[in-house]
Amino acid sequence: MKLVNKHIDKHGTGHVTLRPEDDEDMWHLYNLIQEGDSVRAPAIRRVQKISSTGSVDSSRLKLNLTIKVTRIEFSSAARGASSDDTPGESPDSAAGQQPTTAALQLTGPVVVENQHVRLGAFHTLDIEVQRDVRIEKFEGWDSVASARVQEAIIPGKGAEVAAVVCGEGTAAFCLLSQHMTLVTHRLSVPIPRKAGSSSQHEKGLSKFYGTLFDSFIRHVPYANVGLKAIVLASPGWVRDSVYDYIVQEASRRGDKILQKALKDKVVRVHISSPHVHSLVEVLKSPEIVSQLKETKFAREGIVLDKFFKMLGVDEMRAWYGPDHVVLAADRSAIGTLLISDDLFRASNPVTRKKYVALVEAVQQKGGEVVIFSSMHESGQQLNQLTGIAAILTFPLDVEVVEAEEKQAAEAEQTQDSEATDPDG
Amino acid sequence: MGNIAQRAKKATPTIKGVSSAVLDQRQLDLSGLNLLNNPPPKAEEAPKVTYARDKLLEEVRKSMEAQEKGLSLVVIGHVDAGKSTLMGRLLYELGRMDERTRTANERNSTKVGKSSFSWAWGLDGTAEERERGITMDIALQSFSTRHRLITVLDAPGHKEFIPNMISGASQADCALLVVDASTGEFETGFERGGQTREHLILTRSLGVAQVIVAVNKLDQVQWERDRYEDICILLRPFLVQSGFHPSKTKFVPVAAMLGVNLVTCGGDDAKQLREWYKGPTLVDLLDQLEPPSRDISAPMRMPISNIFKGQGSGTSVSGRLLSGVVQVGERVRILPGDETAVIKTIGVEEEYVPWAAAGSNLTLSLVSIDPVQLAVGSMLCSPADPVPLASSFTARILIFDIQVPIIAGAMVELFHHSRDVPATFSKLIATLDRTSGKVLKSNPRVLTKTSSAEVQITLRSSGPSATTRPIPLEPYAANKAMGRVLIRREGETIAAGVVMEILG
Repeated sequence: MKLVNKHIDKHGTGHVTLRPEDDEDMWHLYNLIQEGDSVRAPAIRRVQKISSTGSVDSSRLKLNLTIKVTRIEFSSAARGASSDDTPGESPDSAAGQQPTTAALQLTGPVVVENQHVRLGAFHTLDIEVQRDVRIEKFEGWDSVASARVQEAIIPGKGAEVAAVVCGEGTAAFCLLSQHMTLVTHRLSVPIPRKAGSSSQHEKGLSKFYGTLFDSFIRHVPYANVGLKAIVLASPGWVRDSVYDYIVQEASRRGDKILQKALKDKVVRVHISSPHVHSLVEVLKSPEIVSQLKETKFAREGIVLDKFFKMLGVDEMRAWYGPDHVVLAADRSAIGTLLISDDLFRASNPVTRKKYVALVEAVQQKGGEVVIFSSMHESGQQLNQLTGIAAILTFPLDVEVVEAEEKQAAEAEQTQDSEATDPDG
Repeated sequence: MGNIAQRAKKATPTIKGVSSAVLDQRQLDLSGLNLLNNPPPKAEEAPKVTYARDKLLEEVRKSMEAQEKGLSLVVIGHVDAGKSTLMGRLLYELGRMDERTRTANERNSTKVGKSSFSWAWGLDGTAEERERGITMDIALQSFSTRHRLITVLDAPGHKEFIPNMISGASQADCALLVVDASTGEFETGFERGGQTREHLILTRSLGVAQVIVAVNKLDQVQWERDRYEDICILLRPFLVQSGFHPSKTKFVPVAAMLGVNLVTCGGDDAKQLREWYKGPTLVDLLDQLEPPSRDISAPMRMPISNIFKGQGSGTSVSGRLLSGVVQVGERVRILPGDETAVIKTIGVEEEYVPWAAAGSNLTLSLVSIDPVQLAVGSMLCSPADPVPLASSFTARILIFDIQVPIIAGAMVELFHHSRDVPATFSKLIATLDRTSGKVLKSNPRVLTKTSSAEVQITLRSSGPSATTRPIPLEPYAANKAMGRVLIRREGETIAAGVVMEILG
């Protein structure tokens, strides 16, 4: 994303103009824009004119419209591609989809009148790449939103890691970038088990490898220089057989680029189950950690793993749930705060403010804050745990703290829980 | 369509009499509609049902008393304990493996320098299994002893293939645990993280109550009686703790490679054993296994564990009939999905039978179904009484010895028969007392090791943006075999449970 213009005063009011460039930028915008914000973007609108004689003239006009957002819709490419993964192979779905497939739509009434559109007329903006978007925040720019802009405008991104999560007869192709995991394709080829006859099993296997190779060519941007690694992950030895097959097939076809990519980029990682959620295991495996140490998503994986480990070692130092985490923050106990971007997208500004305040409080006290992207597997898992968790610097007993809190300010606590309930 | 064709046929002679020109025209028209030609041969001749349900049940009951009793046996144990070798040798001794196969296996395995695997090759059929020298998937075989017809499921012992082992163990009535008696090997298998332990717990959780422990490779420790006794002493308390009743656990010393004490305890190799062991052989013990009671009056349920192209037309599926009865010509519903199929043939132990009852491992040949609709893990059931589909349910679980406690939202894999799906603990309802089942604490924050709890489990879409697909599941109260689930996380079995209520 490119920052075209930024004007924010010290109170946080002002506007930012951004130019989205790829799928991930759409995701950033989705996280930046909240209900109530004013957004100005190019739009195409059908405008009707009634002439003096009464004839109706309808034309499509390209306009810049400013709307006050009332509804935000985001859909990633994967949603469309994975909904049709019927049993059996479907190699043609999602074929040839490249750069932008994510879509962001903003709906709301027009707030700046112009010559063609009345004030208050509704419009749905389709946010497109390479078209500038000006955002003015209704509640002002808070620290989390500003940080998000800073993060979004770092150049040089796109898919950084391609991962193929496979099991015997199944495979899921994923592309990981800083803030997103896209499942670009899934395939499943039925492989008869050995109980029948051995030849059917072998036949099924070779069909599986063949299909997998075709999809690999199509869905893994192996020639892309920005791609740091291609991960082949599976339980058992499937990844080795798959790798051998791909290498063999590449040399048979004499595909030099593929051969080079395979040699330089492929990392084989063991995982315990052939489901996409095992990507978390991939991200914390030593092979990957050493290679992607500084990337955001690897960091997320490591922190989440640390939280689970802490939960095993010392339950009193691993807390989760909004109420509990807030209590821990009040006691300056938070060493690392894990928070999902889902929570900042809360439509209720009060809720958002609460989380922003929490993040700021933790940062002030020298704690680390990791904002998880819910488009990543680790973020999804954090979302399952209420979306917020913390690793404490010293052990605190939840029950003791709750009792303290009850005694101290019973009234305040009830108010607090009421505020968090609606978005659960 | 057939009706119109018939009418058209009747009409032709009268037309013929009138005028040939008109006739041609008419015939052309009709042939354009393909009505006059013989109707295209039906894709599959669907056989008719021969028995009414009540009659069939009666028949089943009668023959159950008369026949030799069938049961299925899963062979479990740590990797390299000699499970496949034991089964290979046993099949040979009982005449189920012919001399030619044996010599071929012996020759080929020696050729690649793996002569010690020659017996196992009888069961490990695929190239990869033979190359690596381990079992990777369940092998299905059968043999008969004096009073029993036994279906053997040879499970893989390697940690990586526990999903396959679960698929096998869920099809079994009894278990044969093979332990390696050689120095150090038994200990590795029995340690924390060893498969002797995990397999036993898994099989018990899947409802297997009888176990025979074959203490293998005793020849490698010079048939020391002390070693055998030590192993028995170590295993007994663990078996009891895992829930196997002492009266249903038997121990037997064997040497699989030499074939000692499998069928007979004769021969030179067994001399040292005969000095101190006077008990039954392995086959004697197998012959005494008691098949559990079968639920034949319940609705039909059969999870698919394998799909392959059978001989001739149609698709073959195999699996174990959990409950009810099934006969040739019956229509079955496939869940999940909206399809039904007709059973063309039923194969039990390489024989075709007109019907089969709960507890048998079947190979069904299905017609009038697109094979795409079938998947491993799908359920075949009677169309009148389909299995409910669940994407969220409550379960009572027993948590194993785990390192990281379970919290709400934890990501796990749910195993149900041959299917595994990603799931989460969406709600921790209560912790329970292990013996009485009384609620100790409701809404616990975490579930710690070796506790018992009631939880809500929700299936999860695999990946951040896919839809969840419900799986066929039934409460334990309605159908025991259908209501058992296992829960694993990161390659480790963390809990076993029974389904209490299906939420939707």
